[in-house]
Amino acid sequence: MLAAHVRRFAYDDGAAPLLHDIRLEIVPGSLTAVLGASGSGKSMLAKVLAGWAVAGGHGRLQGTLELARDGRREHLDFRGSPDDPRLRLGAWGQHVAYVPQRAADLLTGAAATVGEELAFGLEQRGTPRAEMLAQVDSAARVMGLGGLLEREPGQLSGGEQRRTAIACAIVGRPAVVLLDEPTASLDAEGAASLSRLVGALRAAGTAVVVFTATADALARGASRWLLLEGGTAAVDGTPAEAEASAAFAASGVLREEAAVAAWRPGPVRAPEGPAPLAELDRVTFAYDGARATRGGTVNSGRPVLDEASLAVFPGEVVALTGPNGAGKSTSLRHLAGLLRPDRGQVRIDGRDILDDPAGRVAGTVGTLFQEPKDQLFERTALREVAFGLSGRSPGSLRLSRDEARRRASEALEAVGLPGRADTHPYELPVSEQRLLALATVLARQPRVLLLDEPTVGLDRFGLARLEAAVRRAAESGAAVVLSTHALAWARRQAHRGLVLTRGRFEAA
Amino acid sequence: MTRPEAGPAALASSGRTASGRLNPLTGLVLAGSGAVACLAWASWGTWAAVLAAALVVAAKARILRRVVAAASVVVVPFAVWALVIHGLFFPEGRTVLVVVGPARVTSEGLAYAGAIILRTASLVVVMLAFSLWVRVPTLRAALVRRGVPAQLGYVLASALGLAAAVGERLRRIREAQEARGLVVRKGPGGRILAARLQVVPLVLQLVDEAGERAAALEARGNALPGRRSSYVDEPDSQLQRVLRWTLACVCAVVVASVVVPAVAGVLAGAAR
Repeated sequence: MLAAHVRRFAYDDGAAPLLHDIRLEIVPGSLTAVLGASGSGKSMLAKVLAGWAVAGGHGRLQGTLELARDGRREHLDFRGSPDDPRLRLGAWGQHVAYVPQRAADLLTGAAATVGEELAFGLEQRGTPRAEMLAQVDSAARVMGLGGLLEREPGQLSGGEQRRTAIACAIVGRPAVVLLDEPTASLDAEGAASLSRLVGALRAAGTAVVVFTATADALARGASRWLLLEGGTAAVDGTPAEAEASAAFAASGVLREEAAVAAWRPGPVRAPEGPAPLAELDRVTFAYDGARATRGGTVNSGRPVLDEASLAVFPGEVVALTGPNGAGKSTSLRHLAGLLRPDRGQVRIDGRDILDDPAGRVAGTVGTLFQEPKDQLFERTALREVAFGLSGRSPGSLRLSRDEARRRASEALEAVGLPGRADTHPYELPVSEQRLLALATVLARQPRVLLLDEPTVGLDRFGLARLEAAVRRAAESGAAVVLSTHALAWARRQAHRGLVLTRGRFEAA
Repeated sequence: MTRPEAGPAALASSGRTASGRLNPLTGLVLAGSGAVACLAWASWGTWAAVLAAALVVAAKARILRRVVAAASVVVVPFAVWALVIHGLFFPEGRTVLVVVGPARVTSEGLAYAGAIILRTASLVVVMLAFSLWVRVPTLRAALVRRGVPAQLGYVLASALGLAAAVGERLRRIREAQEARGLVVRKGPGGRILAARLQVVPLVLQLVDEAGERAAALEARGNALPGRRSSYVDEPDSQLQRVLRWTLACVCAVVVASVVVPAVAGVLAGAAR
């Protein structure tokens, strides 16, 4: 159905290849998993297969792409020269659909509702309206978006946006679906929907390829694993063969964690012991329906937080869980002083922060946002981490320039990015962007650490860095609050867990 | 799936059916006719009728408050200016009401100021009522169905949503900077002062996003040739079509009846 031979792919003629010597043959109804650590070339390979990296003459591909569909065979032979055949992305995309790692990149940004977003591709192909409505409803239902069709896409939570993007990809019934880190930030229901969707697609003859750093349940359902390392195929075989290989053991690919029964034992706290460092005290909050917000969900005027209370003590790691759109990010933004409660109090280190600007709260609280790119705005990784450490501005930590530089370098070292100090943040793979964003938080040595979906997209090495940072922070007496869908991981890292349901926290 | 699902029947009566039962082009023609009437006939009665009609329509569409708020931003400063200039200093004024130093308040000056304020208010309210009432996706669908290129429709929709998108992105960058110690003073002044730190990252993010979005749009068929179809319903009827064409023809006649004599006058003057 789709066959690719990537002899060499690079963005510039003289540059080292980003991909080389990869062969992939995808047959109808199959599930293939392309596994690899951060920077191994997974997303690049996905973009080459999807045509995004080849169309428009941006990248130089030497190799072949072949697509067989409806009895017709399209064979494109690329030699990396200006005379190469032109890949018509509009026609290619009809058969080979792709959901990028940052799912929001697939969305048009111009649709007023989720329904219009899903319908965009069908509109462009002139699908008759009755058929279009049926296809949109079917794609929405299978991704659990039935109740969100009238919602503005910009107001969806991270997980809901991913579901929307996946629905956009499948709505036109393509022959091949390429999913880059599809389970990232999906809740249990979303992951179950995705598994069912993949099953249904395969049953209908659609081939599915997942690109992931985690050998999770979805990847384990694949008939074939391709392990990438340094931009080329390190292992190609059945999951059992690949998993038994030395290359797999040495790679940064994560194995799905076994369920853990108990939370990590917490610090012993005397009854009259220290006061909480971070506290939500009967906080009620509803989004203004007219305001576009990410990470929070508008629910027809119903409060996202409804008298929610939470107290985190020094040295404690607390995990917040709950379905997509439950209000986890909203809770963290309250603790960071970025949102103000409609009712109730937010206290940091015993002090009500209602009248404190977020920049001042940041003296005590460090926040890792769900979408790392939202957090990166400097020219180099080092400058990024050093932002706000020195200088005379009101919220600056007012370190000397040398001290700020030293702190920033140490933070980069702590997340495993010392060699990336001079790289532009946007040139890093998404997982390294998350680690860089983590470094910006660690450099400030906050007493309260807020981590919103910190594990998403991280490979084994990145996850180990994150775990070490969380442990160090807790051991030094910081209060850590993290929101996550990775329950097994949360149980290993956190001392207790809270589920956010109907606007309130309950013990997990 | 535990969430309640909305089937096609349920949706047929909600957002997919756009702004009520009026076609966006009918709305456009009605607003255009109101504007033409205001410009063609210098009569208090016409201006007041157009203004009243626009306000009634806005009230029915439940956008009266937004229309009045937005119109006030334009009309109030203009009204103050007109009253100062024409109310106090109107050389043709004969009926003097009050004299304060060099300023003479005349009834003719007040009448003139009142007329241009009413005329401006009518025009502004009519156009704002239309732009706040119309649902951009429905308008886009209506235009594309009538042969406007689909890409132009996308540009129109994204341009109308651009301010909101840029505002949202600025907010996210500002929050990221606040989370690292940027202190933003309360109120719009503080935000504008802080915005200088967000301009460069904003531009970089928009450029980066535009690259990704271009590929995504193309892969989803934005550049394909051929006819488009539309997800949103375009409400229309024979009556609306007749009304649109009738009003458009009347407007053309009215404009011609004003423009042709004016141009003829200018040409005749030039010939003399």
